[in-house]
Amino acid sequence: MEVTIKDFDEITILEVKGNIDSKTAPEFERNAKLATDKSEKIGLELSQVEFMSSAGLRVLLMIYRNIKAQNGRVVLIGVSEEIQDVMSTTGFINFFTIVETLDEALTVLKQA
Amino acid sequence: METKSFPGTVDSLDSIREYAGQVANEVGLSKKPTYALKLAVDEIATNIILYGFERVGMEGTIEMSSEVVDGKLMLVIEDAAAPFDPLARELPNEEDLTQTLEEREIGGLGIFLTINGVDEFRYEFKDGKNRNIFVMNLE
Repeated sequence: MEVTIKDFDEITILEVKGNIDSKTAPEFERNAKLATDKSEKIGLELSQVEFMSSAGLRVLLMIYRNIKAQNGRVVLIGVSEEIQDVMSTTGFINFFTIVETLDEALTVLKQA
Repeated sequence: METKSFPGTVDSLDSIREYAGQVANEVGLSKKPTYALKLAVDEIATNIILYGFERVGMEGTIEMSSEVVDGKLMLVIEDAAAPFDPLARELPNEEDLTQTLEEREIGGLGIFLTINGVDEFRYEFKDGKNRNIFVMNLE
């Protein structure tokens, strides 16, 4: 798994590539924390994430709480159907905005 | 299908999921049940690795095997860590799963996803080993 942080003015995009499991979640969490520490508008680009276990859901929960505490906004981008199913089963999906593309995410986050 | 053995560390999770994916492929499971099986296997293997081995400083292996019985795929994970029944712990209920993310307890989600994703999940302790059994109905 690789995580890249990209800044678009006041918006921070966290781009994840690879699988998020118990091996890689700590690295994802560390980067997510860096992003939420400096920005309250976060886009999480997951279109190149094929697999995410409950270890990844824990990091999503942490991001949600950090952002909520700052009255910010988080948008997920390009989430696979399988990962959306998991988010749906666990009730996570109701708390996140999910869009298809980075451009859509930037539009939503700019208005937030 | 052949039995495979993996070192009980998180570095093995990729290969453990790959084994589950190959088995699912061989029996012709479609995309969604294949993902659900990989997820279930990952969650249970993670528990064995983190709590069965690493927390107690034990080195061990995860043995995986599979067979088709009466039109069902049975994938079995065995380990020699201390007895641990994933079904013994309380699972999140409907109320927990609709709680806001601010208030929510995160524990138990992995086992919830396991049970939810497979057609049947069984646990037994036999010959000094934990046996986690994942059953998927074939079409």
